[in-house]
Amino acid sequence: MSALLAVEESIPHLARIADQLRQVTVEIRSPGGSGVGAGILWAPDLVVTNAHVARGSCVGVGLADERWIEAHLVVADRRMDLALFRIPRCGVAPAALGDSDTLRVGALVVALGHPLGLRRTLTAGVVHALGPARPGGRRFIHADVRLAPGNSGGPLADTAGQVVGMNTMIAGGLALAIPINDVGRFVASATASAT
Amino acid sequence: MTTVMDLSNALAGAVERVSGWMFAVHGRPRLPSTGVQWRTGLVVTANHTVEHDREVTLTGHDGRSFAASVAGRDPSLDIAVLRAVVDGVSAADVADDGDVRVGHLVMALGAGPRASAGIVSALDVGRGRHAAGDLLAVDLTLYPGFSGGPLVDVRGRVIGITTSGASRHLQCAIRATAVTRLVEHVIRGGRIPRAYLGVGTQPVELPHPLRERLGRAQQTAIIVVHVKSDSPAAAAGLIIGDVIVSIDGHAITEPEDLVAALRPDRVGAAVTMTILRGGEPRDLQVTVGERPSRG
Repeated sequence: MSALLAVEESIPHLARIADQLRQVTVEIRSPGGSGVGAGILWAPDLVVTNAHVARGSCVGVGLADERWIEAHLVVADRRMDLALFRIPRCGVAPAALGDSDTLRVGALVVALGHPLGLRRTLTAGVVHALGPARPGGRRFIHADVRLAPGNSGGPLADTAGQVVGMNTMIAGGLALAIPINDVGRFVASATASAT
Repeated sequence: MTTVMDLSNALAGAVERVSGWMFAVHGRPRLPSTGVQWRTGLVVTANHTVEHDREVTLTGHDGRSFAASVAGRDPSLDIAVLRAVVDGVSAADVADDGDVRVGHLVMALGAGPRASAGIVSALDVGRGRHAAGDLLAVDLTLYPGFSGGPLVDVRGRVIGITTSGASRHLQCAIRATAVTRLVEHVIRGGRIPRAYLGVGTQPVELPHPLRERLGRAQQTAIIVVHVKSDSPAAAAGLIIGDVIVSIDGHAITEPEDLVAALRPDRVGAAVTMTILRGGEPRDLQVTVGERPSRG
């Protein structure tokens, strides 16, 4: 296939992925907080984000269609830096989830969030490394993707548009994302104990 | 529809392929750098990451360690060639970097493996210390420990060695052809010879009338402030106060240009040096010598 054809086919594909991801990337406003964080629409009635983003048991969640809805804390784990919120069913299809265990170094990834308040901004790069940030630490996806405050809690996705991680930190210019399988286990245990 | 995914898989495949030829290089305190087995038994890394008089060890991607010794250095290109017996590790697939174009997608890799992606932003950034055509500028992040690591194309072939030591302002890679040239010096002669003239120089302005007379556009040249006795420069008749304008037609505007003009393969060759003596241009034939080794 000619390079031009490849590009012509690739760009609409990336644009479609970006559109899908925008729908499942929510804004999170904590009471009394000044900034905005990001979150992932996990299920029609569940939003997951970083615990450091959503402070308080009731936060505001902004959807891609400009609706603002109230979200109530199900459970937060400060050590994992994850928090799960319940929202009224919003009628938006939730995020497609990938398998973070099969992620490979060098794979293309995109991040969505609200860096410096720029809502639903897409940045792209590659997986830099997989593993702990320091010896003995927990596993992160290290991505060569530009992030800024406001990306925290938002999705890191592969080229199929499947969410593989939650952007959580910036360290040494790299994006550190919690592997989505870890987020899945957190959500599973949180919903199991909540019912 | 799937071309982006194909590209993503190709990049990940390239990382896996290249990581088999890569090592962590422990040649300085704390932060290890990265090296690539260029030819069997010869590992290339960034010169500034391997300290003098220090034992060097390599760690392969499977965790095995190997002892290494420095076989040659080219400080001007920031390349060191290490000798090591690394059984079970194959030599890198080195590509012809003549095909590289501005805008090509490339990755810089560090031991681990770790990856960073971007594009080739300029060819022939050779200025100052570097001969034109030896460097590529890349628009990507060289993370700590990446120096000496491979710059790879989307096929997983090595097209250069990245280093943060080649330029203060740009992210650069030494082209594979320049690296191969150095490695072949080691294969042929067991070392990388360093060209030597035996002069000390300083930059000097070329006044407008002189520039016109020489028919050259360069604003500066270098003036000889010291000539070592028994040196190639002394043998050629160079004396203090001579102004070196060009070597083999290449403008010499600052002392670093001399280093770039005198690459290792010039050792033993005769070069034509255009100088000004007492305001009069003249040509001198100089046979480039080899710098006496350190101890």
